[in-house]
Amino acid sequence: MRTLWPIAFITFKEGVRNRAIYGISIFALLLLGANLLISNMFMQEVGKVAVDMALSTVSFAGLLLVLFVGINLMAKDLDKRTIYMVLSRPISRPQYIVGKFFGMVVLLLVTLLFLSTFAIISIQLVKMSAPTYFARFSWSLVFLSLFFATIGLVLLTAQSFLFSSFTSTSFITLVLTVVSYIIGQSLSDVKTLIENSQIVGIKISPVTVKVIQVAYYVFPNLSLFDIKTQAAHGLSLSVSYIFWIVLYGFIYTCLAIAFAALVFRKKEFP
Amino acid sequence: MISIKKISKEFREGIRGKRVKALEDLDLEITKGEVFGFLGPNGAGKSTAIKILLNLIYPDKGNASIMDKDVADKEVRRYVGYLPENPYFYDYLTAEELLWFGGKTSGLNKQKLHERSEFLLNKVNLYHAKKRPLRTYSKGMVQRAGLALALVHDPEVVILDEPMSGLDPIGRKMVGDLILELKSQGKTVFFSSHILTDIERFCDRVGIIIDGRLRLVDNLTHILSDGGNLEDVFLREVKTAGGGIET
Repeated sequence: MRTLWPIAFITFKEGVRNRAIYGISIFALLLLGANLLISNMFMQEVGKVAVDMALSTVSFAGLLLVLFVGINLMAKDLDKRTIYMVLSRPISRPQYIVGKFFGMVVLLLVTLLFLSTFAIISIQLVKMSAPTYFARFSWSLVFLSLFFATIGLVLLTAQSFLFSSFTSTSFITLVLTVVSYIIGQSLSDVKTLIENSQIVGIKISPVTVKVIQVAYYVFPNLSLFDIKTQAAHGLSLSVSYIFWIVLYGFIYTCLAIAFAALVFRKKEFP
Repeated sequence: MISIKKISKEFREGIRGKRVKALEDLDLEITKGEVFGFLGPNGAGKSTAIKILLNLIYPDKGNASIMDKDVADKEVRRYVGYLPENPYFYDYLTAEELLWFGGKTSGLNKQKLHERSEFLLNKVNLYHAKKRPLRTYSKGMVQRAGLALALVHDPEVVILDEPMSGLDPIGRKMVGDLILELKSQGKTVFFSSHILTDIERFCDRVGIIIDGRLRLVDNLTHILSDGGNLEDVFLREVKTAGGGIET
């Protein structure tokens, strides 16, 4: 831990001073401000729109942060050879990966905490202006949704670390992370569709079914961490469901970082 | 102190993965307190050898050790200070934070770290700019910050890859004085350069590497004893190696 802490600290400092993070935050704050106007434009379901928009803004800003700040923090070390400065100290390659990941997670948590505060304020303001539309509203579901979104983004960060451990440029890492995000968000629906293809009247080859089934277990199911709809409609979740989702996110994150560390051990920096 | 035994290294280049020899059977011993100059034309293998010593790349054959420990052991680097060629550091960190990182990862306590940091920032003339982000530094300032980072933990072995590159005459003098100071403290200094006058000024021994093969290792006084200069010796070795340089 004594070695990981300085790496995590400089990663956080480098990230938090990056101008991109301010751009993303300002964009998110503008959207949260617009939430007050947009929600009130709807003649019904004002509460659902306000909650959905506030939570979507936080998730989207977090996604931009992972894609444009997180990936760069790692890739720049490799592109610009800043990694020489780190690995020439008594630090192993796996320690570098884990320390860097911790730094990025702290950066993500701080940013999401900041944006979540404004998201909550925006929901509260809409709630105060139109309380009748918040009959089924639950703050605990809003907090849970923000918590789940954070776990999903931490997992995506771990995946981006895995990709950057074996790719040579930040662009390839970015493309792989985006593809993995899209797959992770839609794979569950696709699997359900192909497994029930006869019901909807489409024919799918057994190979495609197998490929989708394998992909379902290789790529993390990121849609599990998206409970915005439940939060907007005030639909409660069981404690065991919450526990399994958190465990799922934790295990996938640990596996991605462990694989990244394993790949990185063999990597050379000529 | 530094031992390189029969090290060979090849890189794969291009889409077809064509093999390019970077080092071939490199054998080198550097003793404690010695200032060793590693000399060679561009692409001769100087940086490759240095990166093997820092465990940044792995040798295909042979092994390297520092202070009798294999370079693969990360604990070795507690005693090693390294300045890469054309160093690049984090844009938004300050020189003070850079040295904090170097000291912390090398196990310095708070007080020692503060003392070394203040001392070195003064030494490399960056004290006035210690709170400025490194991206606002000139190339020479970055080089000097890198030198301070390499020395922050007071290492026994200092490895400098082209330490004079990008420095103005004042900066070069400062680095030169630092190398002489390290020598007077009994530290081992291994530095690569293709600036022959620098090698002549600071080194006890010189190694000339060409096309990945060590062509000559000798005491500087012995090399220069017959009234010649290092440039003549270097050009002769390049010509012998088939470098085709006109003299």
